[in-house]
Amino acid sequence: MDTERTYGEVATRARDSFQGVERLPGARKHDPILTADNIRREFGGIVAVNVDHFEVQKGSITALIGPNGAGKTTFFNLLTGFDQPNSGDWNFNGKAMNGVASHRTAALGMVRTFQLTKSLTKLSVIENMRLGATDQKGEKWWNGLFAAVWKGQEAEITERADELLARFKMDHMRDEYAGSLSGGQRKLLEMARALMTNPTLVMLDEPMAGVNPALKQSLNQHIRGLRDDGMTVLFVEHDMDMVHDVSDWVIVMAEGRIIAEGTPDDISSNPAVIDAYLGTRQGQSLLEGE
Amino acid sequence: MDWNLIFENTLKGFIGINAVYFAIAALGLNVQFGYTGLLNFGQAGFMACGAYGLGMTAHYFDISFWWGIPIGIVFSVLLGLLMGIPTLRLRADYLAIVTIASAEIIRLVVRSVKFKTYFGGSDGINGFSDSFRSLGNDFGIEEADEYGFWPFKFTGRELWTLIIGWLLVALFGFVVYKLMKSPWGRVLKAIREDEDAVKSLGKNVYSYKMQSLILGGVIGTVSGMIFALDRGSVQPDNYSRDLTFYILTALVLGGVAKVSGSIVGSMMFWGLFTFMDNFLRQVAKDPVSIGNFTIMKSTQVGQLNFILIGITLILLMVFRPQGVFGNRKEMAFDGH
Amino acid sequence: MAVQDGFGTGFLGRVVFQVKSSLRSSPLIRLFILAAAIFSVLGFALSPAQAEDSEYALRIQVKDQVRTSDGKTDNQPVPGVEVTVTDSSGLVVETGTTDAEGVLIISVPTRADYTVSLNEATLPSGEKLDSRTPAIQNVLTDSFVTKTKVITYFTGESQNVSQSGFERVAQRFSDGIRLGLILAMCSVGLSLIFGTTGLTNFAHGEMVTFGGIMAFVFNVTGLTFLGFLGFIPGIRDDGTFHIFWAAPIGIILGGGFGWALNKGIFGPLRRRGVGLVTQMVLTVGLSIALRNFFLSRFEGRTRPFADFSLQKAWDLGPINITPRDFTVSILCLIILVVTALGLRFTRLGKATRAVSDNPDLASATGIDSEKVIRLVWILGGCLAAAGGIFRGLDEQVSFDMGGRLLFLLFAGITLGGLGSAFGALVGGFVIGILVEVSSLVVPTELKTAPALVILILVLLLRPQGILGRAQRVG
Repeated sequence: MDTERTYGEVATRARDSFQGVERLPGARKHDPILTADNIRREFGGIVAVNVDHFEVQKGSITALIGPNGAGKTTFFNLLTGFDQPNSGDWNFNGKAMNGVASHRTAALGMVRTFQLTKSLTKLSVIENMRLGATDQKGEKWWNGLFAAVWKGQEAEITERADELLARFKMDHMRDEYAGSLSGGQRKLLEMARALMTNPTLVMLDEPMAGVNPALKQSLNQHIRGLRDDGMTVLFVEHDMDMVHDVSDWVIVMAEGRIIAEGTPDDISSNPAVIDAYLGTRQGQSLLEGE
Repeated sequence: MDWNLIFENTLKGFIGINAVYFAIAALGLNVQFGYTGLLNFGQAGFMACGAYGLGMTAHYFDISFWWGIPIGIVFSVLLGLLMGIPTLRLRADYLAIVTIASAEIIRLVVRSVKFKTYFGGSDGINGFSDSFRSLGNDFGIEEADEYGFWPFKFTGRELWTLIIGWLLVALFGFVVYKLMKSPWGRVLKAIREDEDAVKSLGKNVYSYKMQSLILGGVIGTVSGMIFALDRGSVQPDNYSRDLTFYILTALVLGGVAKVSGSIVGSMMFWGLFTFMDNFLRQVAKDPVSIGNFTIMKSTQVGQLNFILIGITLILLMVFRPQGVFGNRKEMAFDGH
Repeated sequence: MAVQDGFGTGFLGRVVFQVKSSLRSSPLIRLFILAAAIFSVLGFALSPAQAEDSEYALRIQVKDQVRTSDGKTDNQPVPGVEVTVTDSSGLVVETGTTDAEGVLIISVPTRADYTVSLNEATLPSGEKLDSRTPAIQNVLTDSFVTKTKVITYFTGESQNVSQSGFERVAQRFSDGIRLGLILAMCSVGLSLIFGTTGLTNFAHGEMVTFGGIMAFVFNVTGLTFLGFLGFIPGIRDDGTFHIFWAAPIGIILGGGFGWALNKGIFGPLRRRGVGLVTQMVLTVGLSIALRNFFLSRFEGRTRPFADFSLQKAWDLGPINITPRDFTVSILCLIILVVTALGLRFTRLGKATRAVSDNPDLASATGIDSEKVIRLVWILGGCLAAAGGIFRGLDEQVSFDMGGRLLFLLFAGITLGGLGSAFGALVGGFVIGILVEVSSLVVPTELKTAPALVILILVLLLRPQGILGRAQRVG
């Protein structure tokens, strides 16, 4: 179990921002970047998501945990416009997001990754990265033919992409087809690609799933790095070690509702949380060590 | 068995006007289907837009022939919008259904007696192409003269259309190639594989798909124009669902998502088709019989050829969906 | 890649290797291809020889029979009527319009079979063709006694003139219900195939045609080697079967065809993990091959069944309907009700609906999807064949009879909801009525256009259709 923590300035500030926040579901934060009210999603009689209130503190790393079927991914989909709720409102950076299409939420700075990695296997790694950049002149069809118009921008984008790839230690694979990468490498690629959009809020859906343990450490580092660069991170995870290790705040969902909130230490001793997990024992097994 | 004739016709088939208009239409279809994954089964409808755009300048509008080009393009854009707006947010199948339906309705409308004043009904439209012909004369190509050397002997009329046709193939081939290498093309290729991934990067997938549909449609429209110019007439029954399917076969044969695939596939399609057609007709001339049964009548040659086209498409999909020249790794039907 | 069997690793070698390994991995694909090859060769072997080459023409006359004041009939020429002549391979020889004398002369290349079609929309208003001279007439090779064959059309007063508005609407409704029942029957299979496998089958029209043609082969062409069964009532010594036999046989063969397609092609491809788009393009190839096969064997004209083809219509109040069409509609209704009940109440039916509505959930509850899919292809084949046979009883059999319905079938299942069997029933039925009723306001030649409008409206407003699931759609 990893006990190294970087108590850098940003990390301390992030932790401190939760002083005085109630350890209750739907707790109000001091400076929320994302707030949601009364989000409800039903599938033919089954209530998948039923969240009264939800807030994510700006500049923090917040974990969203819960047993399988708790509705975490559905909640992600609703917040980012990949699914429509039956009712509810939510705001990102003060802007109302209800009815905003998925590509618009991403363009506004709220970027997500997927549980089943969507690295574009028919494109090379560097092409995947270039795709991520926003406001590309070359992506307009009337400019497409005239390379002179977008060549300069493309070079800048490529430079930035190479930097990011180097940071994620993937630069040596830049010209490989993404399809030939391992599962863990594809997760990294998806994360790196999402960063090309210069997001404000990064939402990672199970970034650890299927990643080999050796890679998990560097993944932790990268996530902390995102917060240190000024982004807010919200991620869904089952790996309790990682959650404990890296997050500033934990929100627990079960059966579509938020049942608990607090720091990682608060949560691991919270009886309601233990109850929720007892039924499935999903998160617990990892606490026993690997 | 006149092998000389077969050989001559086959070679002419490889580079003839049929290969040309197929190549242009296949380039358009490649943009939509090969690069973006849009199932446009109504390319014939776009071609009709072009042909009728030209034809109507003489038949209805009574204006100079050259206006037919922008008119055809306007029709084509409108058709693309009509087909795309309801379907591009939905599964690929819906676009296939709507495109088949739209192309069929277009055919019924231009064929109808009700709209005969606009579209010429089932007689079609003739006599609009004189300006095109005389342009050829201006370049020194006389219509009736024979040019070329065996086996590539063409009349001036044929030669002029061929020259313009191949120039257009080169032009659109170049355009599509450059576009697909640009960031715009990159977005399309990504959409083909996984729309959600592209949406999550902030790009308006719906808009890109529409652009691809319309661009491919406009290229198809130019193909229809060349087709009509070659025949000198616009006949509604030529723009049928079958035509779209044959172009699709040529495209898949050559290889999707490759510019060369559209062009070479069309040439191969027509070369092979012409060969089989000539060969079988020669066979059917002196029918081979067993007892009092004939193996084949001369009227059946056409259908046998088309049956072979259908079987070829089936075999391609089963054994080599990337076509003759395609790259399996790059081919992304269904993310394979 | 492994060693290439001696062709090297170059381009040709890769192709050969791929072909060989695919053939090796699927004996059923091999079988199917072999069957297809044999079928086509046999098909061609069974055609009679043909005479050739001379100057021939068809003289087409359209005459209006007018009762003169002294009670005699006078024949007035009808100009401006469009007539099309097609040869036996379906290619148009020429289209023309009758001149002021009501005459149109079309030269034909040889003495052969032709089909003469009169475009009824071009008849002057108030005029309708006499039932003795239907719009489509077949000219047989042997009927060329001289070099010019005369074909005459008689028109009389249009029934429409004497029909009130209400009667016209009622008649259209009745026609629409008939068409709707047939469309509903053909669509069920299409919708279920989509629901259970995700495949949109562009060759479904050909499955409809298959039924009609198979029944025709038994009913009209006859299979001489089965002549020995002549002692059975309804079967004649020349091997032709009464439609009461030919129809069920056609339906069974249709089911067999569906089974074979799944067993030989789509099943193996599904198990190989081949994607849906690839399979859809394959159905396109199948459609091309089948259509042209039917065309080559059946030729371009429409041909009626031997039984019940010429009937006098009953006058049921505002509606005219032949006893045959009435019976067919009842039969359709019975088949549809039985199918619906089967889907609703039998175990297999419920399993089918489960797999079609939610394949993942269904397999999680232990339903054998492959068995259900096999059933769906067989059922779909049977129903499509039945639709073809019934349609053939009404509108004669042609190589294209199903293909022409394809887009209406799609409109119907989209309206009803892709993947829902009951949706297909409802959707097909509604589209049928719509198409016929719309001919009251829209010219007959364009009566299928409103179906396209409905299709687009449905996709804009409620893409999952009436009974479909929203998740299926985007």
